[in-house]
Order: sequence, then C-alpha cells, then structure tokens
Amino acid sequence: MDGQIDTAMKRGRGYWFVDGFTEMIAGGLFILLGGILLLRGIAPQHSFLAQFVSVASDISIVKAIGIIAAILVLWWLKNQFTYPRTGFVREKWVTVTQMLTLIGKAILILILPVLGLVAAFIFLPSVRGVLFSMPVWFPAGLGLVLAVLCVLSGEWMGLRRFRLMGALILLAGIVVGVWQLVIGLPNFPVEALQSNSLAALPEVVRAPMAETINRTFISIGLLTLVSGIVFAVSGVVTFLRYRKENPVPYREEA
Amino acid sequence: MTGSLHNLSDLDRVIHEPARLLLIALLSSVESADFLFLLKESRLTKGNLSVHLSRLEEAGYLRVDKTFRGKIPHTEYRLTPQGKSAFDQYRKNLGPIFDTKKG
Repeated sequence: MDGQIDTAMKRGRGYWFVDGFTEMIAGGLFILLGGILLLRGIAPQHSFLAQFVSVASDISIVKAIGIIAAILVLWWLKNQFTYPRTGFVREKWVTVTQMLTLIGKAILILILPVLGLVAAFIFLPSVRGVLFSMPVWFPAGLGLVLAVLCVLSGEWMGLRRFRLMGALILLAGIVVGVWQLVIGLPNFPVEALQSNSLAALPEVVRAPMAETINRTFISIGLLTLVSGIVFAVSGVVTFLRYRKENPVPYREEA
Repeated sequence: MTGSLHNLSDLDRVIHEPARLLLIALLSSVESADFLFLLKESRLTKGNLSVHLSRLEEAGYLRVDKTFRGKIPHTEYRLTPQGKSAFDQYRKNLGPIFDTKKG
C-alpha cells in the first residue's frame, strides 16, 4: 500500500516531464551547447566558422537570453497544450534546507571524479600521463556523472525512461572515450610522460598539450551533443504518447 | 491491545478512504494542483471527486483557491499544514501494521 502511495506522490513530482516539452527544450539547449563545443574543436583556426563560434560562445548575454527564452517558450507550450488537457500543477518551492542538501549531494558526486584524479596523480607513475589521456577518461567520467544524476532524478520522479536515458548517456561517454583512444592520443616525448613534476611544461610538450585540450573539448562536445539528442528523442516520443492519450483539451464546467 | 493493533484503531478515517488517500498523496508532493489534474490522475467521476475534496476541506486538510485563468474558472487545491501532518501521521501509523517481522 505504501508503494502505491509513493507512486501517487511521484506522479506530482514528475508532472513537469509529462508532456515531453521539458526534455525537448533541454535537449535542444544541449545540442546547441555540444555543437558549439564541437565546432570550436574542429573548425580550422582563423576561419570564419571558428571566429563565429568563438564570438557566439563568448557572449554570455546571448546564453542568458537563450535560457530565459527557452523557459518562456516552455511556459507558453504548457499553458497552451498541457494544462488544458491534463491540468495544472504548481510544483513545490525548494526550501533553503533542501537546496543545501541538494548542493551537498552534488558536491559529493562532483568530488568523486576529482578524488579519482587525485588518486591517479598519487598512484600512477606518470602524472602527465594522466593529464595527457584526458580526452579518454574525461568524457567517460562526465558521462558517468550525468548518467547517475539522470537515473537518480528519474527514480525520485518515478520516470523509468530516465534509466534508459542515463544508460545511453553513460554508453555515449564510454564510446567517445574509446574512440579517442582508438584514433590515438597526441604524441608526447618519452621524458615528458615519465616526469612526475607539476612544474611548467617545457616547450616540447606545448603543442601536444594544446591538442589534448582541444580533443577533450571535442569529447565533451560530442557527449553533450549525444546527450541532447537522447533528451530530444525522449521528449518527442513522450510528447507523441501524451498527445495520443490526450487528443483534445478538457474544459471544467462553470 | 498490542502496538500494531493500537495503530490500526488510530488510523485517520478521513484519510483512510482509498480515494481520499490517493488525493492527499497526489497533493502532498506538490504546492497545489487544479481540479482537472486530480480528476485525470484519480480517475474518479467529477461528482465523486467533488464530494471527496469537500470532505477533506471540511476536515481542514485542504485549502481551495478559486480564480480565473482568462475567462475560464480555475480551482486550485493545496494541503494545509494540518493536512500534511495528518498524512505524515497516517503513514507512520500504517508502517507497523504491515510489518510482519514483529509477528
């Protein structure tokens, strides 16, 4: 019986995702962000495309306006489509205590990869080897963090599709990491790989280091892009199912 | 009377009715919800839903806000602090009743 009460409580929590609009818009934002990161990594230097992407990603006000516009579009869509069909729900305000708990949990989750990195620095023979293989482990680690967040939030809201989304995001992170490994990491001089010093990098490793950073951005861009596609597809499927179940608006009689 | 039997007799009868329990559970996780949401989620008839909501309102567990969205009447329901604590207490009382380990 308690399980059924929990299910009913989760229905309210997950109502924001009932129509698929939130996932579609979040997916769209992820695709834009991933696309910018990817283009930044692959566009030839000094080309028009590189300059355009650089300017677009540097203007914070454009990002802020984009996010606000996305929220307004979401409100409008829900007002026009969802609320007349399945009703209106005002979600609970997050209290200061809940916010602090949430921040604490997020910090704990984010600390895990940092601890992993610190452990790698301590136990691996080459400190720089860890840094130089960043295009491989960074997307896999980020994919894991995103997948955990996705699954946990899905469990809290009773949305099983978030498990599949989390699994796909994790898989994408691993595939991107393996792909970077397969195409080969930038070539570093042997003496640089064997060094454990964190002192300034010598001139000889500057170019491969820049390539490593660039390829890490490409990895993050790819992962963000795939995550965005996963969200958007899930949103479209959810929307189609919702529209099929609720084809016409309902009117409460006066 | 054993502890769990005592809990059984202590169950709040206003909440214990299945339809009202469902309505309270739905409202407990949100700030407020309108009539249509409760109607769709509970799958009760409009008349039946109105009766149960009135019963909860009479018990002081529910607050009703009537407004307009444009020209359409809009009724929102939210749990009162009394309703929230009654629901929490109900869940506490319900737990040991099904705890078979205590035999």
